[in-house]
Amino acid sequence: MDRRRFLKTTSGTAGAGAIASSLSCSLRKRGTVSRGGRREVPTTCELCPNKCSVVAVVEDGVIRKLNPNPENPKSRGMLCARGNAGFLQAYDPNRLKRPLIRAGARGEGKWREVSWDEAFDYTAQKLTAIKEKYGPQGVLWSSTEAFAEIFFKNLGLAFGSPNIVRHPTLCLSSVNLAYSTTFGTVPSFDLLNANYVIMAGANRFEALITPDTMDLIDSTMNRKTRLICLDPRFTVTASKADQWFPIKPGTDMAFILAMLHVVIAEGRHDKEFVVNYCTGFEQLTEHVKPYTPEWAEKETEIPARDIGRIAREFSDAAPRAVFYAGRRSSWYQNDFQMRRAQAILNAIVGNWDRQGGMVPNAKIALGEYMFLPWDDPKAPRVDEMDKNFPLAAQGDGAYLKLRENVLAGSPYPVKGWMIAKQDPLNALPEQAKTLRMIEQMDFIAAIDIQMSDSAWYADVLFPESTYLERWDPIEVMSGIWPVVVLRQPVIKPLHDTKPCLEIVQGLAKRLGLQQYFDFTIEQWNEAAAKELPIEMPLEYLKKHGVFTPPGGPKYGATLNPEHRFVTKSGKIELYSERLQENGHDPLPVYHSRPEPPYGKFRLVIGRKAFYTHANSTSNPWLFDFAPENRLWINPASARSAGVADGDQVEVASSVGAVQLRAKVTQEIRPDCVFMLHGFGKRSPWLKRAYNRGGSDAALLETAWDKVSGNAAMHETFVKVRKV
Amino acid sequence: MPDKRYALVIDSRKCLDCKACVVACRAENHVPLGYSRNWINEEHRGTWPKLLAAFEPEQCHHCTNPSCVRVCPTGASFQRDDGIVLINEADCIGCRYCVVACPYNARFFREDKGVVEKCTFCVQRVDRGEMPACVETCPSKARVFGDITDPDGKLQQLLATREYRLKKPETGNGPQIYYLI
Repeated sequence: MDRRRFLKTTSGTAGAGAIASSLSCSLRKRGTVSRGGRREVPTTCELCPNKCSVVAVVEDGVIRKLNPNPENPKSRGMLCARGNAGFLQAYDPNRLKRPLIRAGARGEGKWREVSWDEAFDYTAQKLTAIKEKYGPQGVLWSSTEAFAEIFFKNLGLAFGSPNIVRHPTLCLSSVNLAYSTTFGTVPSFDLLNANYVIMAGANRFEALITPDTMDLIDSTMNRKTRLICLDPRFTVTASKADQWFPIKPGTDMAFILAMLHVVIAEGRHDKEFVVNYCTGFEQLTEHVKPYTPEWAEKETEIPARDIGRIAREFSDAAPRAVFYAGRRSSWYQNDFQMRRAQAILNAIVGNWDRQGGMVPNAKIALGEYMFLPWDDPKAPRVDEMDKNFPLAAQGDGAYLKLRENVLAGSPYPVKGWMIAKQDPLNALPEQAKTLRMIEQMDFIAAIDIQMSDSAWYADVLFPESTYLERWDPIEVMSGIWPVVVLRQPVIKPLHDTKPCLEIVQGLAKRLGLQQYFDFTIEQWNEAAAKELPIEMPLEYLKKHGVFTPPGGPKYGATLNPEHRFVTKSGKIELYSERLQENGHDPLPVYHSRPEPPYGKFRLVIGRKAFYTHANSTSNPWLFDFAPENRLWINPASARSAGVADGDQVEVASSVGAVQLRAKVTQEIRPDCVFMLHGFGKRSPWLKRAYNRGGSDAALLETAWDKVSGNAAMHETFVKVRKV
Repeated sequence: MPDKRYALVIDSRKCLDCKACVVACRAENHVPLGYSRNWINEEHRGTWPKLLAAFEPEQCHHCTNPSCVRVCPTGASFQRDDGIVLINEADCIGCRYCVVACPYNARFFREDKGVVEKCTFCVQRVDRGEMPACVETCPSKARVFGDITDPDGKLQQLLATREYRLKKPETGNGPQIYYLI
């Protein structure tokens, strides 16, 4: 990208002043500073996907403290509890310290410490045997979002396997697909400048996302931005909202359709915007006629007059009004269509690419290291994405459908499993099925920093250096405030561990694929950084940890009637022909979800700010805040189930049962129960969370969104009884 | 008149109960598990669906007339000119009079070291010109730290424009955490 184009896409000053002042609270000087035995090294956190910039304070080779790096406008000069506790990962006595090969039965926990050579040789030999018998498609490569994920994924592709499965279908693929179907891209939400925000299910004050969490607290508390929260649980977000509605689970789409009904019936949409930028408004108008607030009240249990009032307030506040997309797993099998309804509502009030509205992400171009190309895998994917989810991101796969097909051996057998930075036993619903998938594998190897539950069942373990001990590829985070971040080692590796690239290279060499990975991380990063519009870009990043283009956000680049959106029509698609051609509803049609039968509850899941997914419950400083998970249950429901606060209860679904203690609380609907993720661990090496509380993954049933293939996490009913 | 008087203004409505401040303090001040120099008070009220939840960060109030300093028999507890109340560990005999005298329960006895400990406003950082760890790390910037005598400072600005309350002012301790209402 040339410098002029770069400036065009990223310059602008609106809102920059507000951020500059919020960042000025830190008095620390920038860059790596040495004072005696004390060094300050800027790098990037890896405790969750936010990638916040940190400055590590190192004294005599030991990390003493991680401080927030205020130069990163996305992390807004903060560091959460996880980020602060992150360095305990490196000093965890129970972490993976050297390569291991299984010595007993799978899951028995008997391991043999081996050299890297032996671990590489053994793994390459097993993978080659599977390739010879089943073809390269017989090995599955699964990984979760990480800077170095690209190397692992490329090894799978170069090996010849089409079966790369990434995290989106356990995460936000339904959101991404719904917004990109409508707008041709997935926008960010400008919570810093919005005046009216509706959050349905998204719990932004406990599931921290940068900069959204900080922006929302700033705008709601300092600028009186109105926050409307819909959630079956009284979350921290609900407690800070101007209004909280404990909506009946599974009915969010009814609420949105009724809002659309009111906005259109009363002519409150942005008519000029709709005419210039959208297609399908006539069909939408007809479509939402039956979805009155009175109808939605019966579905959602939210009074019709409130729905009408919120629709009016929302459209009055537009374009500084957003129905926030949320970002977490799907909840129901119609999740894509629910998110589409949100996207359509946002579109017709004209908040697109406006300050305080939805903003297409600004990007920063990186250079690319030119590695040799390999032949595309020849076999079709085992999850048959093209047939099952033709509209979804094909290369990411659909994890639950993939597991079904692997278990069925259809359309072909998959007998090897390479896992990187992922814990499928906890990440996927229906743990028993994942265990069966493990059982049917001839070979499993995992790259991890700790003995996760899934690592516990592997045959070979490659210990990865923690984020504080390694280089990673430079990463761009696009957004309203795009940033480039660098992860560099703060200390030398404490044990016999390697970064992902070196693990990939060790395997590649033995698989005859070394020519595709014939570079160093330094070469990779130099190539990436050289496109940045600064002098000595890599040196700059080493000194600062982060680069952000000057000028702050820019709004309105796409607000030009000639702008072509990346959709079939080139317009914002309220009505989607592409969906219709693929057998899906071209406009979101409401179907009510089944209600829990008598004596059962809907299991809902969610987050606390100090834990990330299932991977940080064994961090001692974090574990201290919640040393077990408890089953939230409303007092009325607890009475009828004969359960008192603190009782040990058994929670059972159609696919599993776990035991944990009850937390009888007013803060949840009587028809739901809730439990925190990341407990009931099976790996004894996770000393704290091992056998503590219960695993939600053991209870959740297999279900997915029909369009995106995203796991649907709120479709499970459970029985609760005192034990 | 001293040059400076450090104090803390806290906007509890911004507190997310995320515990970043607690962990940052633990790391910065090497506070082992089992002890904590700062904490978050929680209040949950109401009957479903009419509910209220409130979170309030707290730590040593660095009072202007600190009862902990008055009761200390050895002079180990003392106050700097800038208002920061500290404990000189070498002089602390572990009698724990101060622990009892503190109206805020901000002090604790370290069994392993035999001395009393509490929030120091991260004096080591403040003296380098940095913010206390809890203040710096807070995602929602619920805490504002600074010199309350500075007429152009953030603290005076906030206190001039916002209602606030002190906790237990009736003790006469003169607490210096100002909670915005």
